[in-house]
Amino acid sequence: MRSIDHLFEKSSRALAQRTSRRSLLGMLGQVLTGAALIPLLPIDRSARAAEAPATHANSKPKAAKAATDDPQSCDYWKYCAVDGFLCSCCGGSANSCPPGTTPSPITWIGTCHNPSDDRDYIVSYNDCCGKVSCGNCECNRNEREKPMYRPSRNNDLNWCMANADSNYHCSVSVILGVAEK
Amino acid sequence: MGISMNTMIIRAAILSLAACSRLLAAAPTPPLAAERLSVAVMPPANPHRLYVLDEAFFNEIDSRVHLFDGDTYRRLGQIDSGFTPGFNLSPDGKTSVVATTYFARGSRGARTDVVEFTDNTTLKATHEIVLPPKRAMTQPTYFSLGFSTDSRFLYVAYITPAASFGVLDPVKYSVIDEIDTAGCMLVIPSGPNRVSSICESGALLTVTLDAQGHEASRAFSETFFDPDRDPVFAGAVPMTNGYAFLSFLGDVHEVDLSGAKPVFRSPWSLLGAADKSAHWRPGGMQIGAIHRHLNRLYVPMHQGGEGTHKDGGTEIWVFDLSTHRRLARWPMAAEKLSAVLAIQVSQDDTPLLFAATDQSDLGVFDALTGKLRHIEKHMGQTPWLLLNP
Repeated sequence: MRSIDHLFEKSSRALAQRTSRRSLLGMLGQVLTGAALIPLLPIDRSARAAEAPATHANSKPKAAKAATDDPQSCDYWKYCAVDGFLCSCCGGSANSCPPGTTPSPITWIGTCHNPSDDRDYIVSYNDCCGKVSCGNCECNRNEREKPMYRPSRNNDLNWCMANADSNYHCSVSVILGVAEK
Repeated sequence: MGISMNTMIIRAAILSLAACSRLLAAAPTPPLAAERLSVAVMPPANPHRLYVLDEAFFNEIDSRVHLFDGDTYRRLGQIDSGFTPGFNLSPDGKTSVVATTYFARGSRGARTDVVEFTDNTTLKATHEIVLPPKRAMTQPTYFSLGFSTDSRFLYVAYITPAASFGVLDPVKYSVIDEIDTAGCMLVIPSGPNRVSSICESGALLTVTLDAQGHEASRAFSETFFDPDRDPVFAGAVPMTNGYAFLSFLGDVHEVDLSGAKPVFRSPWSLLGAADKSAHWRPGGMQIGAIHRHLNRLYVPMHQGGEGTHKDGGTEIWVFDLSTHRRLARWPMAAEKLSAVLAIQVSQDDTPLLFAATDQSDLGVFDALTGKLRHIEKHMGQTPWLLLNP
């Protein structure tokens, strides 16, 4: 029994050494995210949401550019970390894919500040897949975006990668909920 | 309405002159010689040749690599590179490798992931290796695929989004193995048999292969940057014996990969106090280039805050890697160039600096003086990665 305990202890320690808690959360985030899975998201965005205003205060004017309520504008508040083409300019909307395309079931999650109600929202950035890139309304914003070695917070990956048709067409921003402060 | 005699004489003279000149023009001139259709031959390789990866973001299944001569400013040819490709050169510069994806019906249909080899002396595709459908579909980086230093192995990054990498045989053109990287991403080759990947924690995972290309051992390094406070760009800058990882806030983390374990030198900052308060920082798609012999680092720099790490450089800053001293600042507006997204320097004694802008222009500079030599307008659609031998 002791040897089994020892074995398990050893393997657990090895696993713990190899895998940080954050990376585990990150991996879960990658695999489980998506608008249909809101309650499953164990993501500690609150800390990052709380840091957002301070970061903005230090930002140059471009990063803090006035948000708009026009979903066909890259300045729309919900698009704070979109890198791609806005589906609202491609036959869809800010939260719907254009006809004939397929939403990506996996994606990454960010936090955007809505100046209208002064709340931070958790946003799921899904790609719409199965047609060649829309090419209209290119939008590249990267607030709180991280490099691709942190995939659950990265927009450089083609999130259509796991779709049957993995061609990238455009991107949507779907509100998952209010980020708790 | 009467016409005077003088006017008539003048008109007659003009008409006759015109008739004469027509006769003169019609005098037989030798016809153009018959032409023979041929195929241009690639000029010999030279250090000023540049490989420009055009991601073709607006019609992304149609990316390509343009070959450009920094001396004559001519396009030399093209390598097709499909959808969200990885691109690299063999250590001897003779072969280009593209890791890409094709869909059976052009933009849709069955997916084939493949690595394609092109002979750089003919620009003909010579071989291919079909991959499992796991290839990392990312914006261009140095680390999507790369050779071992002895060209024995070729490594290709997989993201599904589970991360792993493929070990390929570039002699037999076959897949040798797939190695799980426990959440660490991309392939950073070093030596004849080591591959490092960047981990979410800010460490490197280094896998050592046996002679057959299978995993012999693995080790995690210490954490060398803080991915929450100040992450490094995923695309690092090749330098002698390793890479310089630049952080969003302008720290330089030099990593020596020449030994069995990575060695991390003390980080240093691109910024002085005044630069920091003026919010200067590096940014773009390919955020630095190093001339290895001169030991100089070139970085596109811009002024901006959080979230501007992909904004291009309004200036190029030049640093001495030995002293960490800034040697020059070259403002791009002075040359009528927009923000620089990708940068590369040739490795010869009369080096050229190449800078691709967010307006898709390519600036060619004297890398020693910063003097602009040429602007190649519209160097493709979205030129985001520049490589050279």
